[in-house]
Amino acid sequence: MNEVIEQKVNTEYKYGFVTDIDSDSAPKGLNEDIIRFISAKKNEPEWMLEYRLTAFRHWLTMEEPDWAHVTYKKPDFQDIIYYSAPKPKKVLKSLDEVDPELLKTFDKLGISVLEQERLSGVESRVALDVIVDSVSVKTTFKETLAEKGIIFCSFGEAIQEHPALVKKYMSSVVPSSDNFFAALNSAVFTDGSFCYIPKGVHCPMELSTYFRIEAAGTGQFERTLIIAEEGSKVSYLEGCTAPMRDENQLHAAVVELVAHKDAQIKYSTVQNWYPGDKEGKGGVFNFVTKRGMCLEENAKISWTQVETGSAITWKYPSVILKGDNSIGEFYSVAVTNNYQQADTGTKMIHIGKNTKSTIISKGVSAGFSNNSYRGLVRIAKGAENARNFSQCDSLLMGDQCGAHTFPYIEIKNNTAVVEHEATTSKIGEDQLFYCKQRGIDNEKAIGLIVNGYCKDVLSQLPMEFAVEAQKLLEVSLEGSVG
Amino acid sequence: METAIKTSTIKDKLIFEYENSKLFLFGDTQLRDKAMESFYEQGIPTRKHEEYKYIRMGLMLKGEFNISINENCSDAQIESLKFLKEAYVVIIENGIFIEGASNVQNLPKGLTICSLVDAEKSNSPIFEKHYAQYADVKADPFIALNTAMTKDGAFIHIAKNTIIEKPIHVIHISTASENTLIHPRNLIVVDENSQVKIVESFETVATTAKTVSNALTEIVVDKHAIVDHYKIQDEKELGCLVNTTQVIQQKQSVFSTHTFTLSGSLVRNNLTVVLDDEHIESHLNGLYLTAGNQAVDNHTVVDHRKPNCNSNELYKGIIEGKSTATFNGKIFVRKDAQKTNAFQSNKNILLSQDGTINTKPQLEIYADDVKCSHGSTTGKLDEEKIFYLRARGISVINAKKLLMHAFASEVVNTIKIEALREYVQEKI
Repeated sequence: MNEVIEQKVNTEYKYGFVTDIDSDSAPKGLNEDIIRFISAKKNEPEWMLEYRLTAFRHWLTMEEPDWAHVTYKKPDFQDIIYYSAPKPKKVLKSLDEVDPELLKTFDKLGISVLEQERLSGVESRVALDVIVDSVSVKTTFKETLAEKGIIFCSFGEAIQEHPALVKKYMSSVVPSSDNFFAALNSAVFTDGSFCYIPKGVHCPMELSTYFRIEAAGTGQFERTLIIAEEGSKVSYLEGCTAPMRDENQLHAAVVELVAHKDAQIKYSTVQNWYPGDKEGKGGVFNFVTKRGMCLEENAKISWTQVETGSAITWKYPSVILKGDNSIGEFYSVAVTNNYQQADTGTKMIHIGKNTKSTIISKGVSAGFSNNSYRGLVRIAKGAENARNFSQCDSLLMGDQCGAHTFPYIEIKNNTAVVEHEATTSKIGEDQLFYCKQRGIDNEKAIGLIVNGYCKDVLSQLPMEFAVEAQKLLEVSLEGSVG
Repeated sequence: METAIKTSTIKDKLIFEYENSKLFLFGDTQLRDKAMESFYEQGIPTRKHEEYKYIRMGLMLKGEFNISINENCSDAQIESLKFLKEAYVVIIENGIFIEGASNVQNLPKGLTICSLVDAEKSNSPIFEKHYAQYADVKADPFIALNTAMTKDGAFIHIAKNTIIEKPIHVIHISTASENTLIHPRNLIVVDENSQVKIVESFETVATTAKTVSNALTEIVVDKHAIVDHYKIQDEKELGCLVNTTQVIQQKQSVFSTHTFTLSGSLVRNNLTVVLDDEHIESHLNGLYLTAGNQAVDNHTVVDHRKPNCNSNELYKGIIEGKSTATFNGKIFVRKDAQKTNAFQSNKNILLSQDGTINTKPQLEIYADDVKCSHGSTTGKLDEEKIFYLRARGISVINAKKLLMHAFASEVVNTIKIEALREYVQEKI
């Protein structure tokens, strides 16, 4: 088995390539002038600039957190280009106008925009807001969505066209002073997605954004804001792959979800950024703040994530269950290999009555990697009849890796019922034996078992995405487990 | 800001007191100096300290403290605390070993019980080999403080191939009319092939002021030895207790520890078990009953360093009133510790509206061929079970009592000394 693992560990990152798009970049470094440059570049109104500057000033007073179970060389924040946009183009009306280089890149990834467009006539449609290096280049199906009153556009556009909404909801869930990376993001974010679902509307298609980090030495700071009004329903997909790089790239995104009464938001992520080579050199630093707020009763927010990439992942998609009867869910698969490090988990803050949350976390670690689950379940005093169930399992492959769990459970209400379970083990020898006995080779058997192990989470992904997720998982399994 | 100033003054005061008294303390001054230095660096932990996130140690040490207390309680009071009739009793009053009150005459062959001061004086090689070797002063400020300032305690040694039938009962008594801070310390060495049962109880009697006891026990379990260890903590409303227990286990030994926290205004347990060789078995059980404004914080660390070991941990709590209970259980499985089985379970019942439970079961695993799990549940008493009992004519109060007893019995039944089991059952 070790041989197979070793052989697979040696598999190179398949999606590593660089597309040459001329960048229109800001100089390296970070100061108030850079922020003014970004703001001016994006034609932002005065209040937005003020917001950025306030966040920046607060950021200066903060220290980079070091409580996570990861070790890395801290990035030099003055050695990062905070703005780089692909050649500015006027509004694009059809796919033909998209940079052919870009289309090729997507072809290589196996996610062709053309295909997406062709699929538009079919039942399962996916609206694609393509982001390459922080700027939204292409937004499809916008018209279809507009008919329903749904706003789905780049963040920059939202600031221009829907300032009232942005002003109202931005930072309402993740304050700009929330943490070191959220503050940094608030100061320098370049673009992202904005989505508004009006009252009673069920979004007819899956909304999707592909993030890629292009242009060497660029930090990427996205901001996503999704607002679901009363009785609305939306499913949002986010997936990413990044080309091979030698130096560490920083990614500090902020995602905010707001669910009003009876609204449902489902947010799915597949993350496959460059994890660094097998010596642990390079790779993306992924420091993301994701948080959802169930503002009013019966709201539901569900996070699903498949994390296979990044040298370092530091990510805790959380739900604040403020409204009565609201529901929070978190399903996660995190796979680490070689020298990857992941410290990920969730926070479920129960404030309203009869709130429910479910946490299913599956970690797989191989090579020299470390994979930690860190989660918080807090039942506030007024959260009558709150209910939580957490399960976090870890699978270990090889004797050099580590799997850790750090659950925090804080309960201040006696009607709450909270359960937490965690297990750590390696792949069962008997399971392997069973497969092999039936003529399935070692590698496939391991793949099969791991897939089964992650099934609880994978089944949560929307159909359209499941294929891609499985594909990404397979690639990473090839590279990590065999 | 205000509390910061206060805690820093207590820190300075302790250092001042240490400088004043260090010439009168037994043992190696160098060791003590080093420990004090380490304490000075660490300070009294605030809530920003990850390990002390849920408990306010600063508050415990607020106000004036008498550090060199010399009060005694009556013989009758001491007698009343000897709840084990058949036992070798060791009395440690306000941190001082009292030979007169203890029952350590006519010890069987192979058993040595004396005060730490005497053990040090007699140049016992066992004492020298093991004293202050396991509790790392850098790991925790209270270990540092105890190492620097301890005055006395018990030294217990069980020689090779000895089976001690009767339990050894170490009674720590706090008694004071003004606020006190004491640092009792015990060293227990169990040699190869020996068996022993040790009960440590922590009691507060005839006290009208706040007593803070920073107790530390080091236990060495040598090859093939079997040790049963019990802690009964009954510090009443005024007693505060920081109880560090550091255990090191050698090849094929079996160690079980049972911690019962019955009362006390603030109780912090730091229990560390190091499994330093192969084929070791460790059991950690605990039961905490909290009420009023009590705060109980149980920190346990099980450190699997070598392959083929088993550990099992079960902690249960019943929380009443405005009390806060914290459980933080860590399991480390080091790189070489293949074939480890480590299980941990923490169950809580929250009876009141204002109680708080914080639990943090942690696993850090660096080996792949292991089976580890932890589970944690928190809830109230099952309504259906109460209904079932009431339907059979049992009053609500009795039904609840019955259920609580049943809940606690899983831990209580692990007590192997019958007299002790009865005593604990009665206390609940």
